[in-house]
Amino acid sequence: MPDPIPVSVRICDLSKRYGGVDALDGISFNVGAGEIFGLLGPNGAGKTTALECVLGLRRPDRGSVSVSGIDVLENPGDAKQLIGAVLQAATLQDKVTPRKALRLFASFYRKPADVGSLLGQFGLSDMADAPFDSLSGGLRQRLFLALAFVNNPSLVVLDEPTAGLDPRSRRDLHDIIVGMRDAGRSVLLSTHDLDEAQGICDRVAILDRGRIVAAARPSELIEQSRSGPRVEVRTLKPIREALLASLDGVTRCSRKGDGWTLETTHLNGTIAGLSQSVEATGNQFLELRILRPSLEDVFLSITGRAWDGKKEDG
Amino acid sequence: MSGDLNRSRGLYRHFILTLDLNSRSAQAIAYGYLVPVLFLVAYGSVFRAETPALLGQMGQLLTITILGGACFGMPTALVAERERGIWRRYRLLPIPTGALVGSVLAARLVIVVSAAALQIGLAHVVYGTPLPLNPMQTLAAVFLVTAAFLGLGLLVAALADDVPSVQALGQCLFLPMIMIGGVGIPLLALPRWAQELAGFMPGRYAVDLLQLGYCDLAGIRHGGFNIVALAVIGGGAACVGAKTFRWEAGRRVGRSAWAWAAAALLAWLAIGLAAAMTGHLAPELPPDIGYAAITDGEIDSITFKDLPGDQEFVSRLAPPFGDGEREKALGDFAVKLGSWGPGHGADAGQSVRYLLCVAGIADVSQDLREGEIARHVLDDLRARYGDERLSRILAWIILYPRDGDVLTSVPALGLSRRYREDIVRERTVLYAKKFLGRLRGRIKD
Repeated sequence: MPDPIPVSVRICDLSKRYGGVDALDGISFNVGAGEIFGLLGPNGAGKTTALECVLGLRRPDRGSVSVSGIDVLENPGDAKQLIGAVLQAATLQDKVTPRKALRLFASFYRKPADVGSLLGQFGLSDMADAPFDSLSGGLRQRLFLALAFVNNPSLVVLDEPTAGLDPRSRRDLHDIIVGMRDAGRSVLLSTHDLDEAQGICDRVAILDRGRIVAAARPSELIEQSRSGPRVEVRTLKPIREALLASLDGVTRCSRKGDGWTLETTHLNGTIAGLSQSVEATGNQFLELRILRPSLEDVFLSITGRAWDGKKEDG
Repeated sequence: MSGDLNRSRGLYRHFILTLDLNSRSAQAIAYGYLVPVLFLVAYGSVFRAETPALLGQMGQLLTITILGGACFGMPTALVAERERGIWRRYRLLPIPTGALVGSVLAARLVIVVSAAALQIGLAHVVYGTPLPLNPMQTLAAVFLVTAAFLGLGLLVAALADDVPSVQALGQCLFLPMIMIGGVGIPLLALPRWAQELAGFMPGRYAVDLLQLGYCDLAGIRHGGFNIVALAVIGGGAACVGAKTFRWEAGRRVGRSAWAWAAAALLAWLAIGLAAAMTGHLAPELPPDIGYAAITDGEIDSITFKDLPGDQEFVSRLAPPFGDGEREKALGDFAVKLGSWGPGHGADAGQSVRYLLCVAGIADVSQDLREGEIARHVLDDLRARYGDERLSRILAWIILYPRDGDVLTSVPALGLSRRYREDIVRERTVLYAKKFLGRLRGRIKD
């Protein structure tokens, strides 16, 4: 798929080794202006290392990173003027207030955002003068997002931005990230939450052991994967495996608890046959779910490993 | 230009925020202010009987104050912020991280100077310790010592994996200097081996420099070796600390960092060896030793025949004061002289010599009160040292007129005009003889 134009971030052949292990092995990708680009991968895939190279926190062994045409390695001071970031596991001093923190960070940039506006935009006005250690997890994450905006950045880098947040805070944060994109900013985020990536990213790159194994729109990746839809079924009385395997389109049956998971190439036929069989034998459905292929299936089909890192059975 | 302005503005905000956060931190208050005050109280309990109290211990007290702020407070804050990822966040800013470290160090300098000022103020108010003779010299000494100890603090921060490690490493520096480094226990109270060992530690040089800055008229100009020692030890530690400091939380200290730390410790060794080779390592002898060695025979050998009369042009000496005459004749001069730092140093021989200089300069300058000033100095010396001890000191000054320092002007007491040193020395000897003659009953008032 062609990259959106204009390109905001250009990463070329980025490599980094730690103690003989390739954390990054020649990855390349572009992020367009007004695009949310997700770096996906299980823990240890190299996502954070890649983001740290983009942010200038880590010097790659090879390759280049440029933001709006400015080389991050050659000209870090100018590049940092354009980048905002939310880092994993970052925190602030216990007694610093959101207002003071924003004022401090804003004061280093050429084009600082208005601190009062940021406080309002990120819902921090009521707690603007409260010490950091009195803020909830959600408010802290909002503050870090606000800090990422103190320089009116053209690129926002988010490292696992929703990790550890409650569902409501996650939803709020997703809205904010989409709002960034709608405001014309580029967003580069890392996540190991596939639903999150599927829900908000325009494009994703799947990292595995330091290499990009797939990169496209989430929907395109799913379409390209060899996986088909699955049906999860649970009935009052047991169903024989032979009966399920004989249903139209079913390619594989596997036990799941006291029910079955059916992989099928003909969803309508499988469901119709299943209904007829249940009816004919006087059985009853307790649960019937249709599962569409996801990025998890994409990862499985590409790497042969489940998302949690285990080797696929069989 | 705009970038420089942003940088300055940002650093100023960071500096102010660091001060602000420090003032809200119980740990910072404890290390920076409370612990030094506890030492002040402890010292006050022991040395309050001295006249004036604690003047001879101000170098030690100020060194302890600076050690607490620079070798505990600063690295504790720095490591705590690093382990919380705050410095990782700072590294995203479009400014070299070293500039922010500079801002932290500058804030710490202000904190330490304020703590030192608090110590001086409390000592003055509670124990009547004279204020610094030359505040600028004292400030310069505090700056120099703080800069050196901040270098050590930076090294501690670089080597410590977490805040408890800061405490452990800080104590490794603090305790030896307190116990055998001349900081906590006065050098003169230590055995000879400890006095020599102290020459390999920065604490001794800090104490000496601060004491010079506080109550020596020549100030830190006489502390050249101390300044060099602190610069080498502190500078070496700062360089190694800056090179090996880790910005990322959770990253353990590597072997190379320990090798660099060992290199920084070589600076201590080098200074100790240099001190040994240049005579700066020699144990300090009690300052009283000069006059204490004077024998009765030496005192008796002194003659008083050739002295000018008390009402003659040279070395006037007024008759003893009657009731109320002293205040009438001298006004607040007597009060000023009572709290005049050089007259109350730890070295009694030198203090007497300085007080004789006051009488001598008043005499040379033909001050209208020259005779009364000399009489007051005599009375003051007798009250302070007693006739027996004062006799030996005066005899020492008479027999060894070239020893010790003399003043050539005393602006703090209104005697601002400067005179030649040899003339002042001559007058101090004349007054010493007149005073000694009276103490020994050889001259009648």
